[in-house]
Amino acid sequence: MSPELQEILVWIVKVHVIFLGMVGTAAITTLAERKVSAWMQYRHGPNRVGPQGLLQPLADGVKFLFKESLVPEGANKWMFRLAPALAAAPAMLTVAVIPFGPDVTLFGITTPFSIVDLDIGVMYILAIGGLSVYGVIVGGWASNSKYSLLGGLRASAQMVSYELSMILALLSIVAISGSLDLREVVLQQKTIGDWNILYQPLAFLLFLIAAFAETNRHPFDFAECEPELVSGFHTEYSAMRFALFALGEYCAMVVMSSLAVAFWFGGFSVPFLPDAHWALGIAAFCAKVTFFLFLFLWVRWTLPRFRFDQLMNLGWKVMLPLALANLFVTGAVIAYAPQLKALWQNLFHGAS
Amino acid sequence: MVIVRRKELSLSERLYLPEIVRGLSITFRKLFEKPITRQYPEEPLPKNEVTRGQPRLVVKDDGNIACVSCGMCEVACPAYAITIDGGETDRPIEREPKKFEIDMLRCILCGFCEEACPKDAIFMSDELELADYSRASLIYDLQKLKRPKSALQKRIDYVYRLNNRWRKSSSTS
Ligand code: SF4
Ligand code: SF4
Repeated sequence: MSPELQEILVWIVKVHVIFLGMVGTAAITTLAERKVSAWMQYRHGPNRVGPQGLLQPLADGVKFLFKESLVPEGANKWMFRLAPALAAAPAMLTVAVIPFGPDVTLFGITTPFSIVDLDIGVMYILAIGGLSVYGVIVGGWASNSKYSLLGGLRASAQMVSYELSMILALLSIVAISGSLDLREVVLQQKTIGDWNILYQPLAFLLFLIAAFAETNRHPFDFAECEPELVSGFHTEYSAMRFALFALGEYCAMVVMSSLAVAFWFGGFSVPFLPDAHWALGIAAFCAKVTFFLFLFLWVRWTLPRFRFDQLMNLGWKVMLPLALANLFVTGAVIAYAPQLKALWQNLFHGAS
Repeated sequence: MVIVRRKELSLSERLYLPEIVRGLSITFRKLFEKPITRQYPEEPLPKNEVTRGQPRLVVKDDGNIACVSCGMCEVACPAYAITIDGGETDRPIEREPKKFEIDMLRCILCGFCEEACPKDAIFMSDELELADYSRASLIYDLQKLKRPKSALQKRIDYVYRLNNRWRKSSSTS
């Protein structure tokens, strides 16, 4: 087998494994969402399809396929059909650069366990992730319904404002690792002592809050906001198109969780085992992502929804200044590190 | 006029985060608590003689129906669920219904028929489940309504107990 052919084959396999893995995770998260919410409210949750209701996502999928896909009267048909794809695609595209595991050696072939290793991975994620707002606003606009339009508008305002803080939070990590390559960022956090959460807790907090807002999850799900807007931008959607919106949301959750893990929690590095086997690395990554996915559900079923003006206040008056200050301080510390060290030593020696 | 005084929030409350963590810890603890939902078809409702289910007709121990088709229940029924056609027999009690239908989709399980009946012929059973594929099959005829007296005995005793209580209190006053 020629090296080129082998490379292409390896690539095809990787794309399938990672993509299906992510969509599968998203599907399981839909079940987990209902299970967790049920348990938190003394209920059982779905438990009829398969053992303990484990096949529920499958049943949902089949049901979605057989439902009638309505297009409301007066809707812009092309835009209406395009919007679900626009909403789901960005989340699925960003998964390409996420390093899910270290170098994998299987059948004598060694390859990094991510679809591509872009050296501007962070840029790529931010650029593609920023597109996801189009799905929401196009869906809201094309539906020819006031609820959808309001939901779409709110979502776009919210996503644009929180994207800034998120980018600034990520930038402070990029500043200390000196690389835009996600794999590089992860490789620099080999042991627990190197995890960025220890150096950039504030950035993590800001990122986490922004991630909730970016994925339109509680307590920031203004795009949907059932009590006011019926169901927001996807009020008029049914069947598989509706499912695509949901899939996009859950995929975005997986991506955001992966980002949090890769940037702050050592990615695929196994705690206390710096030279662990690659399978263990992948397992560690999955375990960390699972925790964050659980956090998304946990927060959703705990907190009430914000008010829209509170959301904007928080975004512009609190998060953005904090993120800027954080980035500024980080930059200053990095730039003047030698001088600061000398100053510290001077003080320390002067005192002793 | 109502003056609502808003509680002055402390710093930690205004920061959101400590309170959010508190809320999260509460919901996390609830995760492990036992669900209180009843899994209905598998865990049926507890039933006893007080349960007021669908009305059923008593079949006496000699095999004859207790109803004399007097029509009292038909008149008492607020939902017009009962339809009776009377007929004659050769027995000492000369009447019995030729047709006795209760439209279970109309019946509101009020129990008025039970109260109205002068012959202790109709009682509320503990049968509650009602599901079928057509409306016609939910209009119960004599065959579907008949129950041996022994099956309804508990309810009959209960109704007697209840009525006796009334009798005592009226005799003392
Ligand atoms: S229970 Fe009430 S509604 Fe039902 S048949 Fe008897 S009187 Fe009519
Ligand atoms: S009141 Fe009693 S006896 Fe009279 S018709 Fe109804 S069930 Fe029969």
